[in-house]
Amino acid sequence: MTALTVTDELVACNDVARTFGRGATAVVAVHGMTCHIQPGDKIAVTGPSGSGKSTALHLLAGLDQPTTGSIRWPAIGDRGVLRPGPVSMVFQGPSLMPSLDVLENVALPLVLAGATDKDARSSADDALNRLGLLGLRERLPDQLSAGQAQRVAVARALAGAPRLLLADEPTGQLDRANANLVIDALITTATDTDAALVVATHDPRIAARLGIRWTMADGRLSVGDQCSA
Amino acid sequence: MLSLTWVRGAIGRRAGRSVAEAIGIAIAVALVVAIGSFLGVAKRTMTARSVEHVAVDWQVEAQPGADPQAAVDTVRSQPGVASALPVDFASTAGMSATTATTTQTTGAGVVIGIPSDYAQQFPGELRLLTGSAGGALLAQQTASNLHATPGTVVVISRTGFPDVPITIAGVVEVPQADSLFQKVGAPPQSQSQAPPDNVVLLPSAQWHTLFDPVAAARPDLVHHQVHVRLDRHIPTDPAAAFDAVTGAARNLEVRSAGTVVVGNNIGAALDGARQDALYAQVLFVFLGLPGAALAVLIASTIAASGNDRRRAEHALLRARGATPVTVTWLATIEAACIGAIASIAGVLIGSIAANAFSLAWSAIALSGGILIAVATIAGPLWRDARRITVAEGRSQPDRVWRHRIRVPLAMALLAASAVVFNRTSSQGYNLVLAPEGVSAISVSYWAFLGPALLWLGAALLISELALVALRRARRLTSRLLRPMAGELAPTVAASMRRQRRLLARGVVLVALTIAFAVSTAGFNETYQQQAHVDALLTNGADVTVTSVSRSGLSADLVARVHTSDGVGSVEPLAHRYAYVGTDLQDLYGVRPDTIGAATGLQDAYFSGGTAHDLLARLAATPDGVLVSAETVKDFQLQTGDQLILRLESRTGGEPVPVTFHYIGVAKEFPTAPRDSFLVANAEYVSRSTGNTAVDTLLVSTTGSPRSVADGIRSITGTDATVSDLTTTRQIVGSSLTAVDLGGLTRIELGFALVLVMVATGLVLALGVAERRRTFAIASALGARTRHIASFVWSESAYVTLAGLLLGVILAWTLTHMLIAVLTGVFDPAPERAAVPWPYLWTLLAVAISAVVVASAIAIRLARRAPLSALRDNAW
Repeated sequence: MTALTVTDELVACNDVARTFGRGATAVVAVHGMTCHIQPGDKIAVTGPSGSGKSTALHLLAGLDQPTTGSIRWPAIGDRGVLRPGPVSMVFQGPSLMPSLDVLENVALPLVLAGATDKDARSSADDALNRLGLLGLRERLPDQLSAGQAQRVAVARALAGAPRLLLADEPTGQLDRANANLVIDALITTATDTDAALVVATHDPRIAARLGIRWTMADGRLSVGDQCSA
Repeated sequence: MLSLTWVRGAIGRRAGRSVAEAIGIAIAVALVVAIGSFLGVAKRTMTARSVEHVAVDWQVEAQPGADPQAAVDTVRSQPGVASALPVDFASTAGMSATTATTTQTTGAGVVIGIPSDYAQQFPGELRLLTGSAGGALLAQQTASNLHATPGTVVVISRTGFPDVPITIAGVVEVPQADSLFQKVGAPPQSQSQAPPDNVVLLPSAQWHTLFDPVAAARPDLVHHQVHVRLDRHIPTDPAAAFDAVTGAARNLEVRSAGTVVVGNNIGAALDGARQDALYAQVLFVFLGLPGAALAVLIASTIAASGNDRRRAEHALLRARGATPVTVTWLATIEAACIGAIASIAGVLIGSIAANAFSLAWSAIALSGGILIAVATIAGPLWRDARRITVAEGRSQPDRVWRHRIRVPLAMALLAASAVVFNRTSSQGYNLVLAPEGVSAISVSYWAFLGPALLWLGAALLISELALVALRRARRLTSRLLRPMAGELAPTVAASMRRQRRLLARGVVLVALTIAFAVSTAGFNETYQQQAHVDALLTNGADVTVTSVSRSGLSADLVARVHTSDGVGSVEPLAHRYAYVGTDLQDLYGVRPDTIGAATGLQDAYFSGGTAHDLLARLAATPDGVLVSAETVKDFQLQTGDQLILRLESRTGGEPVPVTFHYIGVAKEFPTAPRDSFLVANAEYVSRSTGNTAVDTLLVSTTGSPRSVADGIRSITGTDATVSDLTTTRQIVGSSLTAVDLGGLTRIELGFALVLVMVATGLVLALGVAERRRTFAIASALGARTRHIASFVWSESAYVTLAGLLLGVILAWTLTHMLIAVLTGVFDPAPERAAVPWPYLWTLLAVAISAVVVASAIAIRLARRAPLSALRDNAW
């Protein structure tokens, strides 16, 4: 990592915990998470199922709020400006709007960010082209296979040229060829735009393609030389 | 055990949806129970009301030559007879009375002999106005003609025998003179047009003393009756009660071997009520059935909205080894539990709404509610469970053919509805056939087909229009949504296009519920309007005071009526008779400038202008006269023609010729007969004839017409008859008017509001709730509340506005169809449907409030906990 000023830092996460439920039934999904993400970082988050990877990514994306601790996005701004635009996320499960076709799904975050319908469609077409999905642009989500749907979700995340790209098991439902295609697209886009890429994955081959490896176990995050807790 | 666990989990975990499903079913059940229970109560009330005013149930007349006492004995031995008293009638050539220095003489009359306990046994037949009931009694009009009061000696002529003096003990009113003086056994058309003017009632012993000799010499001048009060243990249904009393009457005639003929007054009353009961049944079908069907449709829509989730849950069960039978069984148990709870609630709500309980209807509705629940909740899952593979389960059947035939089918249904309607609303068509005096009574159910086909055709067409608008007019939709959705408009339009089936279903539900509510309200309003018009036409005003003597109402009496409590304005009316050629017609002298303050004059009463126009014309033309259409036609009159009418003089002398000018046509006029009459300026009539007598006062009231009438009655005494609008409305209207339609429509309109609320609010909220995950995705992508709101509001606006527009069009058509097909319940027939504006505004407010509240809640739900919704893997 090159020397960067504090204001270049995309995420500053300090002793964050996230607990679901209360009292005896409370479940601590993440605790003591401290980490920092800089532009251009390509991070693999690995760990067994239920270790808290998804919750950690949701917290980093600003989709969820910590129970204790703090998360800031110094280079981006406060939580209210993260999405749509600077932060994009690819979800683990199906996440396409069933009532919109592929092109409209990919264009949606851009329209939400204020782009005109025409510009949003043009950018969405580019993103679909990058993932070889142009032929599916008019299909509805229920006309896609699970793998195709996941690639469309990735295209949607890439279309807005985000500064922080988070992907939760983006290749979990893909064969190897498609998995490589998706990871290639994610890494290439992140590299081209100097965006940070955080991928939660079980697949060691994918983890190996990313420069930094973080590990989650029982809600605790190990960040290598940045490791905390 | 598995069933219990499953049901507890399914209902408990999805409590909100289960409650929504239960609400839909409960409304359907409650509506059926309420209407059904009400129908039973209505019939019972009709029977009770129809016989309530029957003073003498049977007038059994001994045939010439028969022994009157034997007739009494035969009648008393008849089962069901509670009381039977002999009543004797004798004709008299006239009566006279001398008061002060004048002697008044009447024409022919009737002398009736009654037992001493007659008034006690038949309290409705005679009403003592003044004096004592023990002795000779004079009828009110006779007393007025003879200027007689209690103590006056009246001389009665006896044909072939010397006149006899009797001392009057009291003056009575004979409220049911028409039936008392009926020709027993004669058909209605050969009955006298009016009861006799001169009537004396004597104690039986006195009558026999005076008229037994007459009977012996001239038996044709005397007849004997037995007046009967039945124990009235009759069925509650008017038709069954009619059959029972008619059968009993015939039985009596047969048992007496033809020596008596029964004048069946109670049967005549029930004869009218059974027709009304059948109309009530018809109204139940016309107004109630669509509501119940709509409630079922809403219930099934609510239930169906949760089927995707159930399908997913059952797929998991099947994946874990459950057989199709187990899955179907679990779905059935869950549906039956929801259905049973909802149906019990529905029965309670319906019984409370109708203020009555019917075991039969409750049982029917309860079973129906459970069946609806099972059919709508478990039915689709049962169909899925029968599919063999997952792929089959996922595949959607090709429904293209359905859409291709929908429009032609809708058009065919609407065309068929028009044809049936044309036939069933044509003149001479009788919806209810109840020939007078005949047991057979029937309804032409063919007439139901018109509205039924219209409902079906319209539902199909609305559905197709809603689909086509979203499918074909995407750009237009996008443009229309832009003010609400901004840059998101094309996306929202695209989303709506893909969800067009869901939205079209919403549009259909809203349109049908609006149509149901508006058409029912419109029909009810028109019915009430016509009932009021009819009563006002018959009675004249809120309260009408009519002189019983030819000298008219005294100035003092008029002045006292003016100052009576609750009196608004008082309008004098001069009622004269005028010869138009040889035709004697009623002529009403009015004050055209002020008559409108005391009575409602409808435009429909006149021809060639509004009521205001015609009365202004009359005011401007002192010698003007408004003539009935029949007279105009008979005498080929042109506006401005001079008419010389001969007005009957008050003194009974030669008619006085008076010149008028024909200025317009009056088709109806308060208190006037319906065939032919004349309306002129009172001042001109008085001046021309020298007769200033006021015969009638039309009184508008500021309080209850009935209580004001009671107050005026205490002023007028026996000098005038006083009638009020409320009582007249009960008398001229059928029993249907008096109690039943009002109650039926109250239930209908109440439920219609609930249905509109559910159709707009609950269905919309459930539709949005079902797509929580979709909105959670949008939220996770960065959609703000305003973005989510633009989706929700756009859909809400489309469903509500399209539903309201199409619903109002359908309602307009349905209202006119109902009024035309059910024209038999209107008297007079309406010229146009009344618009129930207050109800319509309430309806609109309820619909919009429900949509606003449901949308606001849906937006709030969609914004809450997006991550938990995202974890759900269903599409």
